[in-house]
Amino acid sequence: MSAEFLKALTANRLSEGDVVFWASGQWVEQFADAELFTEEAPAEAAVTLAKSQNRVVVDAYLIDVTGSDQGLAPVSYRERLRALGPTNELGHGKQALGGAAIAALQAASGAARSTGRLDLIRRK
Amino acid sequence: MYRYDAIDKEFLSDRSNEFRHQVSRRLAGELSEDQFKPLRLMNGLYLQLHAYMLRVCIPYGTLNVAQVRRLAWIARTYDKGYGHFTTRQNIQFHWIKLRDAPDILDALAEVDLHAIQTSGNCIRNTTSDPRAGATAEEIDDPRVWSEAIRQWSTLHPEFSYLPRKFKIAVTASAKDRTAARVHDIGLALRRGRDGTLGFEVMVGGGMGRTPFIGQTIKEFLPATRLLSYLEAVLRVYNRAGRRDNIYKARIKILVSSLGAEEFGRQVQEEWAQIDAARADLPDTELARIRAAFIQPGLEVLPAVSDSYEAARAANRALGRFVRNNVSAHKTPGYAIVDVSLKAHDATPGDANFDQLEAIADLAERFSLGDIRVTHEQNLVLPHVKQSDLPALFEGLAAVGLATPNINLVSDIIACPGLDYCALANARAIPVAQSIAQRFVDADRAELVGELKIKISGCINACGHHHVGHIGILGVDKKGEEYYQLTLGGSGAEDASIGKILGPGLNADQVAPAVDRLVEVYLAERQGEERFLDTYRRIGMTPFKEAVYVDAH
Repeated sequence: MSAEFLKALTANRLSEGDVVFWASGQWVEQFADAELFTEEAPAEAAVTLAKSQNRVVVDAYLIDVTGSDQGLAPVSYRERLRALGPTNELGHGKQALGGAAIAALQAASGAARSTGRLDLIRRK
Repeated sequence: MYRYDAIDKEFLSDRSNEFRHQVSRRLAGELSEDQFKPLRLMNGLYLQLHAYMLRVCIPYGTLNVAQVRRLAWIARTYDKGYGHFTTRQNIQFHWIKLRDAPDILDALAEVDLHAIQTSGNCIRNTTSDPRAGATAEEIDDPRVWSEAIRQWSTLHPEFSYLPRKFKIAVTASAKDRTAARVHDIGLALRRGRDGTLGFEVMVGGGMGRTPFIGQTIKEFLPATRLLSYLEAVLRVYNRAGRRDNIYKARIKILVSSLGAEEFGRQVQEEWAQIDAARADLPDTELARIRAAFIQPGLEVLPAVSDSYEAARAANRALGRFVRNNVSAHKTPGYAIVDVSLKAHDATPGDANFDQLEAIADLAERFSLGDIRVTHEQNLVLPHVKQSDLPALFEGLAAVGLATPNINLVSDIIACPGLDYCALANARAIPVAQSIAQRFVDADRAELVGELKIKISGCINACGHHHVGHIGILGVDKKGEEYYQLTLGGSGAEDASIGKILGPGLNADQVAPAVDRLVEVYLAERQGEERFLDTYRRIGMTPFKEAVYVDAH
């Protein structure tokens, strides 16, 4: 189980709407800084904690992460877009920061459904 | 144009204050997200992939100069410098912060704008003809009736919690520029044999996952009885429409299951019970609204402007612009100018604040301060003197808004798609751009002529793909972006739903496929046939063979 389990926790910040990721007790802006969970129990504990932060974030859910030669990236194309910004305006969103971590996300290929987001939609 | 009175202004101010209070309670944790979400949606504020999105209502697509300047200011102050015009004649801002939203609503209210009726299961903003009051084709000014519907429907207590959202279109010309037949109710103004004004009432049109063309349930409704009849239609729908399944809740499903004849009978029965004196618009109120749309400032001019004709003959670029973007006005010496938001490298429907400021300035100088938004994500300057066309063209060109491609292959409708939208399965914008780039040769695009390509990033069909001459639907196929092409749709007076061409294509295959479809058309067309006409005559097979030739 633990060998295949690789997830990060994401949400949108309530007051701004920005995409954020969970990293050891706080919300951070960049996927590269996100805490990676390799076990289900701590991941679910983080989700529970995020849901209790009603004044800070909305729509918290876990996303699948995968590794490649370039580095780590969300498995789902939708989640990579959230971590980067829109492809029609490369100066907008988190991708404007540039650097190796952003380049790794942009280089990641393959796409899959965002299972976490699907669960979110089902719950609504 | 219609001006808000003191009651309207006070109402908007109150509404904005109410939302400010709701936002502060949400930020303080007094409201949960589940409690707050319906409240923000009633004020047009959605949470999308990267940020909040604020959808601002543009009643029947009509704006004045102060309003466009204010939209430009909001784009610059609170967004990343641009706004996105939608297929509902509205504008949305994609990078809004919740904490700024109350200030933005205040700023909008100061110029009589708001975000009411841009979300939720209510009667949404009424669609109308962007050439209203300017085209000689119209039987009556559809803005008069759209405004009456706006006043009647805004926060209507009986119809604020319908089974699902509800969209009405009013068209007044033989040429339908509102997509009336794919609205929940399409109203087409008609003259009766005795010269009186009336509406053909079409119900049950719509797109989404179950597309239908609206069916006529009343050939001629006396215009003065409009509101009572709408009330009867909405009441039957509100009572009998399904609430158990969101995908079967639109009126189109009810009309389809009952049959148009039975639905019409139930409406007739309901209508007979409504007190007309209470429900219908008094003549005095109709006259008051009508007076607001009498266009002042139109001069008596010669039918032909010699200076304009000379400039057009001398300037090839102006000539091309006029051929594609300029139409006849009902008043001699004037013209209607379509402003394309579809430059070949642009995002369809986007306008940045420089462009919005320029549009406001140009409208003030050349179009009696009147600006319209089309459901095809372009703008219209409806009252331009022919003699001003060369200067207007230069002004538009200076900000990248003189693309001469209205109704041509690169004038593509595209929803925001997966680049922004939380519902989308695939991107729409890059696909539109790849097609536009492929047809960047303006001579070839003109040779092809009218060809309406419409792209949606999911089955909800905000990009109107069902009614594209070529429709493109983004789908998620095992996690990959794929695109399903349809042919033969139309949202105009000859409305039809497109049929699927064949297996889905990946993003890189779409523009080459469109190219092949166009080549088949050019080889097969007869006379003045448009792409759509040729398709309707020769059918799917030659097109399908051309696109899937490699698969054999």
